[in-house]
Amino acid sequence: MSGPLNGTVMWLTWRQLFARRRLWLAISFSLAPALFTLVFRVLADDGPSSEATFFNTLTREIVIGTLLPLAALIFGTTAFGGEVDDGTLLYLLVKPIQRWHVQASKVVVSVLSTVAVVTPAIVLPWLLLAGPDVTARGAMSYLAGAALGSLLYCTVFLALGLANRRALVIGLLYVVSFEGILSRSLPGFKSLSIREFSLAIAQAASNGAVVIQGAVSTSTVWWMGTIILVGATYWAALRLVRYEVAERL
Amino acid sequence: MTTTADLDRSTTLSPSATPSGAQVALRNVSRWYGNVVAVNDVSFTLGPGITGLLGPNGAGKTTILHMMAGLLRPSVGDVLIDGAAATSTPQVYRRLALVPEREAVQPFLSGYEFVRTCARLQSLPNAEEATRNAIALVDLVEAQHRKIGTYSKGMRQRIKIAGALVHDPMILLLDEPFNGMDPRQRLQMMDLLRELAGKGRVIVISSHILEELDDLATNVLVMVAGRLAASGHFREIRRLMTDRPHTFTVRSSDDRGLAAALLADHTVFGVELTTSGLVVRTTDRGAMTRGLSRVARDARIRLLEIRPTDESLESVFSYLVDR
Repeated sequence: MSGPLNGTVMWLTWRQLFARRRLWLAISFSLAPALFTLVFRVLADDGPSSEATFFNTLTREIVIGTLLPLAALIFGTTAFGGEVDDGTLLYLLVKPIQRWHVQASKVVVSVLSTVAVVTPAIVLPWLLLAGPDVTARGAMSYLAGAALGSLLYCTVFLALGLANRRALVIGLLYVVSFEGILSRSLPGFKSLSIREFSLAIAQAASNGAVVIQGAVSTSTVWWMGTIILVGATYWAALRLVRYEVAERL
Repeated sequence: MTTTADLDRSTTLSPSATPSGAQVALRNVSRWYGNVVAVNDVSFTLGPGITGLLGPNGAGKTTILHMMAGLLRPSVGDVLIDGAAATSTPQVYRRLALVPEREAVQPFLSGYEFVRTCARLQSLPNAEEATRNAIALVDLVEAQHRKIGTYSKGMRQRIKIAGALVHDPMILLLDEPFNGMDPRQRLQMMDLLRELAGKGRVIVISSHILEELDDLATNVLVMVAGRLAASGHFREIRRLMTDRPHTFTVRSSDDRGLAAALLADHTVFGVELTTSGLVVRTTDRGAMTRGLSRVARDARIRLLEIRPTDESLESVFSYLVDR
């Protein structure tokens, strides 16, 4: 493959991301919402409006609020972090490939992997609850929001994986404290929250099918999203280009 | 003491007289980490052949190897691969390969997948064939489809070497390459490296196990505390160490008589009678070897064997390190 995306690096990254227990973790992330939905269908019988409430809550809180950042955290930090720790990154760096091509390839695979995990987590519950109040448009809108969230989260977490040996722990603290608590309780922090960006995009794409109370504006999403994306990408590329093997990145 | 390094800090080993013309050059290279100087003003040029990079742990061997591989920038000086800065462009890796010391290889890949990945990252036109050839070179055909995670240490070393050789590099840098290999594998790998050197490849082997390099690398670079203590053929280096007595083991038809005769010789300052023969110490190697036959003839003693006992790489190395 020509250009900044290298097919071999992408294949290697894909093998790395889904190696060992991560494959099972990804499958459980994908299927857990469908399982919750099945339990709901068996136990609850409150009609279509309750199904819509369940689907929206499940997608916003469990999928976009929890599973999406966790999947992105695992894939984003693993894409480089594992290789730096065990020294296998050397095998990529001593090849005739621009280092930023390695980074671009890994970001793309991380994002696609996160989207691949989150998609069944949204689509399967929708298929189980599909009806007048749980529409395809709503599900697709949540998917669009999740795709943007995957891109931003993975870019940030991949940069974090290059920066710190404890990226997974730091990322987890960020997901729990900032995305989980601060951005929900302090309105000013919403305009920095990737979760809020995802929900805002879901609302904007839904044509009224998804309504988020106090969602950030679309222009804020594009501005802040672009700043986060460009900033994290540039910083990670710089770290990788300047990487010297004897030191921690 | 005088060594080649003292005589000329810009040393050329095995100048590139072969068709490959591959060359690695360090010019006044220093590298420090904070206040710690890892490599201090080192210069040399390497051409085709096998060069041993020796030194005790922490001497700066791996730092030098990583600078040659473009994975570390020198704090001062230039590292040139075929005249171009090692860190300037990734295209240098079409001619250069590194086998790192760390054992880690992606455990989730099979040996075949790992080498094929290396081939594809090199954009080789026939990656599959190159992969098969490289794996055959290191004798891992039978285990090639097993996951690397199940490999022994020696097998991992060999698959790393296969990955490095897959694009037939002109310059091969190996950091402790024989770690974990059994004696048969070592011999096989040594033969392979000799064959590559014979084809004009520049091969640099870093090792702290001297026996590995004794037969393999005639040229050595000896690093001590970040400085290049000596370079060149290790026997030549030994001969230049005039402040160290040369030691020979001599067997003859009458060791006791020869000992008495040698003590009268002004070039000999110590003789020891042992079960394996006479151990003779001299400050003037040339004069002693010339005079020994004369002394034996005059004493009517037949010489059976004369063997230098401190011209091994190990002796040279220990003299340099213990200076």
